[in-house]
Amino acid sequence: MDNFQIGLLFTGIMLVLVFLGVRVAFAAAIAGTLGLVTILSMRLGFEKGLTAGLGMAGTVPHSKSVTYALSILPMFILIGFLAFHAGITKAVFEAAKRWLGWLPGGLAVATIFATAGFAAVSGASTATAAVFSRVAIPEMLKEGYDRRLSAGVVAAGGTLATLIPPSAILVIYAIIVEESVGQLLLAGFLPGIVSAIIYALIVIMRVKMNPAMGPSVSGYSWKQRLASVPGTFPIIAVIVIIFGSMYFGWATPTEAGALGAFVVFVLALIRGTPVGVLRDALVETSKLTVMIFTIIWGVLVYVRFLGFAGLPDAFANWIGGLDMSPLAILLCILAAYAILGMFMDAIGMLLLTLPVVQPAVIGLGYDPVWFGIIVVKMAELCLITPPVGLNCYVVSGVRPDIPVQDVFRGCWPFFVADILTIAVLIAFPQIVLFLPQTISG
Amino acid sequence: MTQVSDTAPAAMLNSDRWLSKIENLLNNIAALGIFVLMLTATVQILGRKLLNIPIPGYIDIAEQSIALFAFMGAAYCQRLNGHVRMELILSQLRGRLLWFIEAFGILVAMVLVGIMIKYGFEHFLRAWKFGDSTIDIGLAVWPSKLVVPIAFSVLWLRLLLQFIGYCRLVRHPQATPVLVPLIENTKEQAEREARETATADGQSNG
Repeated sequence: MDNFQIGLLFTGIMLVLVFLGVRVAFAAAIAGTLGLVTILSMRLGFEKGLTAGLGMAGTVPHSKSVTYALSILPMFILIGFLAFHAGITKAVFEAAKRWLGWLPGGLAVATIFATAGFAAVSGASTATAAVFSRVAIPEMLKEGYDRRLSAGVVAAGGTLATLIPPSAILVIYAIIVEESVGQLLLAGFLPGIVSAIIYALIVIMRVKMNPAMGPSVSGYSWKQRLASVPGTFPIIAVIVIIFGSMYFGWATPTEAGALGAFVVFVLALIRGTPVGVLRDALVETSKLTVMIFTIIWGVLVYVRFLGFAGLPDAFANWIGGLDMSPLAILLCILAAYAILGMFMDAIGMLLLTLPVVQPAVIGLGYDPVWFGIIVVKMAELCLITPPVGLNCYVVSGVRPDIPVQDVFRGCWPFFVADILTIAVLIAFPQIVLFLPQTISG
Repeated sequence: MTQVSDTAPAAMLNSDRWLSKIENLLNNIAALGIFVLMLTATVQILGRKLLNIPIPGYIDIAEQSIALFAFMGAAYCQRLNGHVRMELILSQLRGRLLWFIEAFGILVAMVLVGIMIKYGFEHFLRAWKFGDSTIDIGLAVWPSKLVVPIAFSVLWLRLLLQFIGYCRLVRHPQATPVLVPLIENTKEQAEREARETATADGQSNG
């Protein structure tokens, strides 16, 4: 057996383990460890190969985790958990309502921009969908909004959280494919805003066709509008801190994340959030952090083995040799992600596939930062599609009076909007690359 | 059958209780680490930008502290079924076959974590012997390397308990499951998410 075949064999073993429900981190790490041992045994003899292989794998957890760039992860996660206690959700929805309510489907449009605003302090799609199910759906139903539209807009709006920084998944992408964390985060801003605008246009178009679906809410004076702005201060503060530090290089990403978390923490304290609740937020942050670190080191053991086996190069060569245009290949890969995403958690799916897929896509001439944004957008799409679109289940979980089928039906226009967004980002990669390139160039 | 469910061995439950305490402690240390990092990095950026007084060796300290929250909570997270996995096939299975596959999966994890403990410890030992330190302020790196075998040992014990729990269910598939996390379907997962954010929203509604 040559290295390439060993690579395929242990990748197969890993996939079987993942399907059998072994935790993704452990499945990837054991396949990587055994693969390293096999390859090194063939070179050095069994005993030496065993020690060298196990030793190499055994140093990965510490050496790959304890790097300064990764210290940003708990800060971003913490901002998200604290944001729920800083009184932001209601305030940002209220502000969006006063400013945008006059549009056709005004409350739905307001919900989209409120979730986009909230995304600036949260990277968690499902949690964002859950919170806005409570804040926005009752108001929309009260104003006589179509039930499916109300539910769909919240489920879809939640997905904006992962593109707009702080976003843990973009940091993870950057680490796995060795790109700059700051560039990835900056790259997410504009596509997040474009997504929100396309969502809003779709809502406006639908309501224009059938005005009964979403009556506009008008009558707010400029004074009332301006009065709603201070409530969104935490969001503005976090955007200024994170965007400013990345764009102008004021601070490292971790420092910006920490300062953002600190601001939200202080605001939560000022709002009288009990210490116990804040402690719970920290404990939850810690749990999510260790989960992400575990999967990172697990996958990096596998990545080290892949390097030895030469699988990414072989895959890239194979893809490069196909008699298809790069765009057609890219679309096939994205379609594969859409299908995979229906069955797998986004982080697990991306981490397991990117080490092999990403170099191939880069080999086709696509930009690594751009591809990160596209692939994350793709993973988010799966949160609003059957069978396991978790955001839809979450909306229905918060509002048991809205069956999950109705939420899925309410999401289809946003599914179309997402496909449109991805098409726009493929056609105009500058939307993604403009911000990161202005700082690197 | 009911007898079996009632006789989940007391020793098992006791060990679970003790281990849970240790896991909670480690996870709390990790949480505290995150909080301190937030404060340190805030002081660092404000000190550097406003007063031009950066914290000496800040990056070294921040980097070494990562070991706390990257590993300490691993067992806690395993207990709460927090590590990502695919439950598509498992959720379709029932009874002995399900428990058997679960036990097998845990065994795989035990082998892996066992390897990581042994070689993680050797990694620590080398740093200890050679007195490895960070570049900037010469911070010793062995403490952060020692976190790996310690945290993973607790994780290994948690896996052992879960393995025993699944083996018991393989023998008596009808017994009440103890010591093992149960699979949530999408709906249950969504309901949990809804519950968890409910308190937060109550706050924000102030």
